[in-house]
Amino acid sequence: MEDQVCPRCRTTKYRNPSLKLLVNVCGHSLCESCVELLFLKGSGSCPECQIPLRRSNFRVQLFEDPAVEKEVDIRKKVLRDYNKKQEDFSSLSAYNDYLEEIEDIIYNLVNGIDVLETNRRIEQYKRENREAILKNRVKIGRFESELDEMLEMEKAAEDKRREEVKREEAEAKRKRARAKEALIDELMFSEGNAKSIVESFATTQAVEESGRGEAADFSTGIRIGKTHDYYAGGAPLEELAPLYKYEPPEIETDGPRAPEWAEAPPGGPATVEHIRKETDEETAGGFRMAEACLRAIREAVAGLYYSSKEKSSQLQQPQQ
Amino acid sequence: MFPSSTQKRHWMFRDDAELTNLRNAANKNYVEKFKDLLSDSAREVMLNADEERFLLRHYELQMRDLCRKFSPPMPRPVIGTAFHYFKRFYLNNSVMDYHPKEILVTCVYLACKVEEFNVSIIQFVANIKGDREKAAEIILNNELLLMEQIGYQLTIHNPFRPIEGFLLDIKVRSNLKNAEKLRGGIEELLDRLFLTDAYLLYSPSQIALAAILHSASKNQENLDSYVTQTLLASDARDKLSDLIEAVRKIRSFCKNMDTPPRDVVKQLEKRLELCRNEENNPDSQV
Repeated sequence: MEDQVCPRCRTTKYRNPSLKLLVNVCGHSLCESCVELLFLKGSGSCPECQIPLRRSNFRVQLFEDPAVEKEVDIRKKVLRDYNKKQEDFSSLSAYNDYLEEIEDIIYNLVNGIDVLETNRRIEQYKRENREAILKNRVKIGRFESELDEMLEMEKAAEDKRREEVKREEAEAKRKRARAKEALIDELMFSEGNAKSIVESFATTQAVEESGRGEAADFSTGIRIGKTHDYYAGGAPLEELAPLYKYEPPEIETDGPRAPEWAEAPPGGPATVEHIRKETDEETAGGFRMAEACLRAIREAVAGLYYSSKEKSSQLQQPQQ
Repeated sequence: MFPSSTQKRHWMFRDDAELTNLRNAANKNYVEKFKDLLSDSAREVMLNADEERFLLRHYELQMRDLCRKFSPPMPRPVIGTAFHYFKRFYLNNSVMDYHPKEILVTCVYLACKVEEFNVSIIQFVANIKGDREKAAEIILNNELLLMEQIGYQLTIHNPFRPIEGFLLDIKVRSNLKNAEKLRGGIEELLDRLFLTDAYLLYSPSQIALAAILHSASKNQENLDSYVTQTLLASDARDKLSDLIEAVRKIRSFCKNMDTPPRDVVKQLEKRLELCRNEENNPDSQV
């Protein structure tokens, strides 16, 4: 975006930071002030390609390359008529042919190939499929309005929740103030020991606070568990999945029982004298000598009861 | 762990007879396939299964020498793994199909990788006599073939870690005074077992135990009470006899070991040159 420049007056973004490039159907951009100057009457011709343009058709350029802008524009226009869905076709290949045709038309229009011919094709299509086009337009319109409705509902729910939080907060504040007042009253008028009174108040306070349940708010005001509502549309809730539970792996030894971790030999005083102590560097990496010992001992007993007789005589050959 | 390994599932065999059957089948397979493709003179000198075994023994010895003289010095698990690969490969393949001298170096190279003994191919071929560039090419070409033939089951459970475990346990739980002095005897037996089929018939921990007991008896020590009372403890009654039998058999493996005489090997090699599969010969024109 650095070298955005109006092709007519050569104003750049650098010289005029508020420079806004506008683009019309022909795909050539102009800056805002040039548009105002050239299209005072509401219509005029493009300074580059002399195509007659309307001022009301100018839009802010979204893409750096005006050609992309032009293609997006044309695509939008073409797709307004070519709005069939896959359900409208009997087979996938028919639908693909249809899509291919659309792409052809768009390509032709963008690159100015057989524009007249292409426009005639569009007109013909429109005439032939008037009813289908209208029906699909209505369908799409309905879908969009449904989407809007959903967004609206989400927003309302959000507002409602925010309101509730606010109310709860105010309530809590009031309660705290009341409690404080009660404490002061008690201190002023009661005969009991001041210290014990303060303590008993503190405990009731604590009970009340915890009774309110988990905090619904971080101190920053971000709601805990908010994601919940964002995906209310139907995504599975992750929280409902059962929690992961560690189960120690079952080791098949096929041999006598090996001494366990907790027992004396590996890592115990009796073994330690037989092995080199791990160095500081090794412990830093999480290495413990006892683990190596245990592994050696486990491997020593594993398979000690192996017997070839158990095997069936017909052995699997390695896959060739 | 061994009990859940592919080694146990696919590469442990019932007995000697099963191994012999497999090897005979591999030999026969090659003979059948190439009977009509080889010239008359070559057909006459085709090796039979016994002669193949004879040659393999010779190359296993060569492999051991290569590993021992390897620089930088090679950790023992690498050697063990290389032997496993070599044996597995020739269970289902004939010597005439793939020349052992090529498979041998490939096994060692692959074992270096699998056992995390980091040597580059250049470093590796520096240990090999002859044309180094060609050797490197042969190794890299054969690597995939080797892996395919052993079913990509690369993890090998060697008896070395079980040995450490047993020694540690013996130091802690038996009344043997100086367990370290057993090491010499243990290594000697393990080395000799590499030249046998023991690794395809018995689990690594059984081999480890056999090696320890072998070494103990050589050192006039007695570990019987450790095995029966401490190690097996409650299981002793049902399992002891099987285990003793396994240990006895493993120890008997290394008794009948003979180095093949040079002149016989020479003659076999000459015949091999004639009848080998030329498609797998890097020097041939085919």
